[in-house]
Amino acid sequence: MAARELPESVSAEAEAPARSPLGLAWARLRRKKLAMAAMTVLAVLYLSGIFAPVISGVLGKDYSDQNLPKAQHGPDGENWFGTDILGRDIFIRVIWGIQTTVIITLATTLTGSLVLGVSLGLMAGYFRGKTDTAIMRLGEVVSSFPDILLIILIAATLRPRIVEAVRDFEDATFFSGLVSTGLVDFIVIGIALLPLTWFGTMRLVRGQVLAIRDAQFVESARATGVSTARMLARHIFPNVVSPLIVTISFGLGAIALSEVVLSFFGLGVQVGRPSLGRMIGETIGRTGSSGPSVLQNHPEQLIAPIAVVFLMIFCWNLLGDALNDVLNPRTR
Amino acid sequence: MLTYSLRRLMWTPVLLVFVSFFVFLLGTYGPGDPVEIRLGNNYTPELAERLRDRLGLNDPFPVQYGRFLGRALRGDLGESLTFRGRDVITLIGPKLLTSAQLNVAGAIVAFGFGTPLGFYAAKRQGTWIDPSLVVGALVIFALPVFLTGPLAILVFAVNLDWVPVSGWGGLFDYRVVLPALTTGLPGIAVFVRLMRASTLDVLGQEYIQMARSKGLRASVVNYRHVARNALLPIITILGFTIAGLFGGSLITELIFGIPGIGRLALDSVFSRDYPVITALTLLGAVSLVVANLVIDIIYTLIDPRIRLR
Amino acid sequence: MISAMGKYAILILAAASLAILAACTSRSEEPEPDAPVMLQTATPLPTRSARPEIAPELRTTPEASSPGASGEIPYGGVFTRNWSDPPTLDPHLVTDTTSAGIVVEIFSGLVSLDENLEISPELAESWSISGGGTVYEFTLRKDLKFSNGDPVTTEDFRWSLERAAHPDTESPVAEIYLGDIIGIDEIIDGRGNVTSADGIEVIDERTIRLRIDGPKAYFLAKMTYPTAYVLNRANVNAGGDTWTDEAVGTGPFVLEEYRIGQRMVLARNENYWGRKAYLDNVVMNLAGGVSMSMYENDEIDITGVGLADLNRVQDPTEDLNADLIRVPPQFSISYVGFNVDEPPFDDPKFRQALNYAVDKETIAEHVYSGLVLPAYGIIPPGFPGFSEEIKGLRFDLEKAKQLLQESRYADPESRPRITVTIPGTGGLPGRDVQVVKDMWSENLGVEIEIQQVEWATYLQDLNRSRLQAWGGLGWEADYPDPQDFIDILFHSESAGNHGAYSNPDVDRLVEQARTEQDIIRRVQLYNEAEQIILDDSAWLPMWFDTEGLALLKSWVKDYAFTPIIIPKLKNIYIQK
Repeated sequence: MAARELPESVSAEAEAPARSPLGLAWARLRRKKLAMAAMTVLAVLYLSGIFAPVISGVLGKDYSDQNLPKAQHGPDGENWFGTDILGRDIFIRVIWGIQTTVIITLATTLTGSLVLGVSLGLMAGYFRGKTDTAIMRLGEVVSSFPDILLIILIAATLRPRIVEAVRDFEDATFFSGLVSTGLVDFIVIGIALLPLTWFGTMRLVRGQVLAIRDAQFVESARATGVSTARMLARHIFPNVVSPLIVTISFGLGAIALSEVVLSFFGLGVQVGRPSLGRMIGETIGRTGSSGPSVLQNHPEQLIAPIAVVFLMIFCWNLLGDALNDVLNPRTR
Repeated sequence: MLTYSLRRLMWTPVLLVFVSFFVFLLGTYGPGDPVEIRLGNNYTPELAERLRDRLGLNDPFPVQYGRFLGRALRGDLGESLTFRGRDVITLIGPKLLTSAQLNVAGAIVAFGFGTPLGFYAAKRQGTWIDPSLVVGALVIFALPVFLTGPLAILVFAVNLDWVPVSGWGGLFDYRVVLPALTTGLPGIAVFVRLMRASTLDVLGQEYIQMARSKGLRASVVNYRHVARNALLPIITILGFTIAGLFGGSLITELIFGIPGIGRLALDSVFSRDYPVITALTLLGAVSLVVANLVIDIIYTLIDPRIRLR
Repeated sequence: MISAMGKYAILILAAASLAILAACTSRSEEPEPDAPVMLQTATPLPTRSARPEIAPELRTTPEASSPGASGEIPYGGVFTRNWSDPPTLDPHLVTDTTSAGIVVEIFSGLVSLDENLEISPELAESWSISGGGTVYEFTLRKDLKFSNGDPVTTEDFRWSLERAAHPDTESPVAEIYLGDIIGIDEIIDGRGNVTSADGIEVIDERTIRLRIDGPKAYFLAKMTYPTAYVLNRANVNAGGDTWTDEAVGTGPFVLEEYRIGQRMVLARNENYWGRKAYLDNVVMNLAGGVSMSMYENDEIDITGVGLADLNRVQDPTEDLNADLIRVPPQFSISYVGFNVDEPPFDDPKFRQALNYAVDKETIAEHVYSGLVLPAYGIIPPGFPGFSEEIKGLRFDLEKAKQLLQESRYADPESRPRITVTIPGTGGLPGRDVQVVKDMWSENLGVEIEIQQVEWATYLQDLNRSRLQAWGGLGWEADYPDPQDFIDILFHSESAGNHGAYSNPDVDRLVEQARTEQDIIRRVQLYNEAEQIILDDSAWLPMWFDTEGLALLKSWVKDYAFTPIIIPKLKNIYIQK
């Protein structure tokens, strides 16, 4: 189960830039029922994650509240998804787990795909030559690592260093309890997933830039003495937005899955803060050896976190498909 | 295309040096002192010093790296820290072979189910079959191995008793079925989409219209022209699927008790067995690079359009 | 003996006393077959009644099973089980339970421990002790043979002992187990220039004399450990570092096949000196997998029972219920350790408050389904030196709050950060610790962070006393003496004392007990020390015993449960 994204098409790189404005695309998207359903599901999931503290507050339950006498209890009116082995409410833990995933996917996408990927892609495509070669080669090195192993390796080697750094920071300032908020985990996972996220976006953006940099409107802009930065931002970037949206949509599901896998092995989110991967790992064991037993005896402990993981991957891909259709219309 | 391949071939060693350097760096400056771990409670400064000397861990980084590189060139990737006296290559070799077989099996499942379905979906474009096949494939794609693996064991091994829970006899052993299905399941969706897109492309080509208009039988057109041409680009992805040695099969290997690279990789990361980690990463990188090359070459050989250029 | 999920395991040096080995176990949360099996004991324990009975009608140990009607035990058959890759199969390098469990079946030495944990003759048929307890003379059995047919002579023993000590062998335990023999230390420190020890003297082909540097009664017990096993010189020299792939030994089994990460097959040693093993083969699956399902599908013959299956296997209408074995009590305790040098654990009042604030009865009942016995002392019930008189710190909320107020760390604002480190990756790590965290937080308002690190790092930090507090660890006895717990874990200079606990009174009492000849007085000394330790709250003791249930196929007979690793596979037979 790697961080894998579905290739949207065999010839994605060579695609022509979208000609339709985003508004038009949106109008077309709204006619796609499945896509809208997927968006709704994602909205519900992400909102419940973002507002997990509020939901917790309203229900008067915390994700760490233990109720030992009611451990491993099936779903009922009080615990909608049942309770785990320590009697903690699975529903509350799942929405907090979603929050963890949301933070990590957004942070990784922002830094990896958007900031790094787009800027490097713009640079490579626009300047070409040595810059292009250097960036492309770097990407090739990174992408020639076996992905999941690299993530595990980075997470395992980086964590202690980052924990130390954050602790030092806590000691030096009046902040406290940063480690237990999961900040360290977010940093570690973010960095570990970074190598996987930027290269795809970079290549895409680069391809788009290469395709349009000699186009008429860019030529004329250049002729009027527009600065390079301005040119990239005003004229070239808008043209790569559509394919970018599609890539990110596919990527979000993949990143979410990677985080889950990492936490499953105990290398992502640490004890204390709920995470979907950790919930699954804690239930079926690091080698999955309790999986059949749990499915047989206490399936509810596994179903909720797995259903959320499933829905995230499924809906992001469904949405990605739809976006691809409306943003990059082809003659079909 | 050929020059491109050649250029990449020349670039490969440089790439591998970069990869090895990076991994070696992580190993050297990562946490966990292998010497302390190996000595455990018997740790004494003298014993540690002696071991460090013997393992060459006291040398400066460039010296260590240089020595590593020199040995690696001769096919010697060092000795495992966990399994004493075990040459990393001999340790990894059989496991790599196992994982490769599992991946091939998984790829066969993905390809075998995926391409016909994708082809079928493309042919039925415009009907309800096409979108439901695509969505159905997506459902399968999104099912996590955490669920499919244990579920497969519970249903097919424990309850129906069709196949054993564990055991590994290679690609041609019937016990490969469940792990192959589990590994290959998500891949089905990949091939459905690819084959569908590719078939649609081919269907739109002029020569197909021409063949049709010449009055060739539909089945001949379908299979001799459309399917064959549509399959060409798919081979690329098939290669990558097989080469992706670590991705899809890691958890499958753990759940089904398959003596592949997965468990070793995890254990070596957790026990800080750096020679093994380095070797695995390097081999992984090599296999990806080689897979790329081979695919390029095959592609050039079988696709007349490319050869003409 | 620290053993983590049957894997990374390390033997811990017993302090300079009569001790041999002490054990330290980790609580494995997954149904690992190694744990319940290797930690079991065949010796009936006097105070078994102190333990909660879960299913009294279950057969307790399989030793009750009798051979077929004819009384004839059938030879043949295969015993299959899950195991993990042993870090080494070289007896002289063994430091962990996973390796030892196989090594003792393939190799052997002069003496061994029997199922009652008493020293019994193995390759030596007899021995005599003279020179005021400093000279041991062993006589080998007649016509001893290695598994390849080579004769075993005293010369082989001399070479083996010296080889174990040689610096090139890099044995981490040679000094501990062989260091008493005169001249061995010189070999160890000789940088390869010294190869023979004065204290080892070959009298004739069947007689060897060992001289030691003092009248140490525990010396013979040390000779049961694999470091003192005999190896075949030609075999070792032929194979380099991996000579064990073609191992030639003197144990009841030979290594027939070993594929790392895949499987290991042992076969009967036809040249074994005593009664040959009944089994044709022992197959160990090393690739992992879902052990419960494998057991249900008859792919393995024994498995531990995970928490998810507890209810199912205890249901009398389930088929599996017939195979259920109540794992006899083990002499082990799990605990949360404190480093008393590190604030806030340097204040005894604070530690006591933490102790009083944990309701172990509730945890035992609801989290462990009653399979563990809450620990209020250090020495497990039934173990020599256990006393009902010992007063532990039972759950008492009022006292806990009061003590916290009296402590130097009553103010949460100025209280130092508390991090409890637990080992492992994934799984459900530190279930106890998570509950304890909740109870401390609810009952006292004391907040802690739980940090999980991989075993390798965990052990490394533990051994260097770098952990502020730690959980997920247990201590398991390897020989029936209270010294194994009290001295090794709490003497201020013991290597097994990871929390820097230091109390001159405790030191004095345990030192006195080491040489005390009067048994009753000796136990009293340990009891006094134990009470001081509990009052000081050096630890938060959690449980006696670890996992309590295992499944064993009905056709596997005479599977012996022993609290330490002894050769036991040769007694197993299959009767379908």
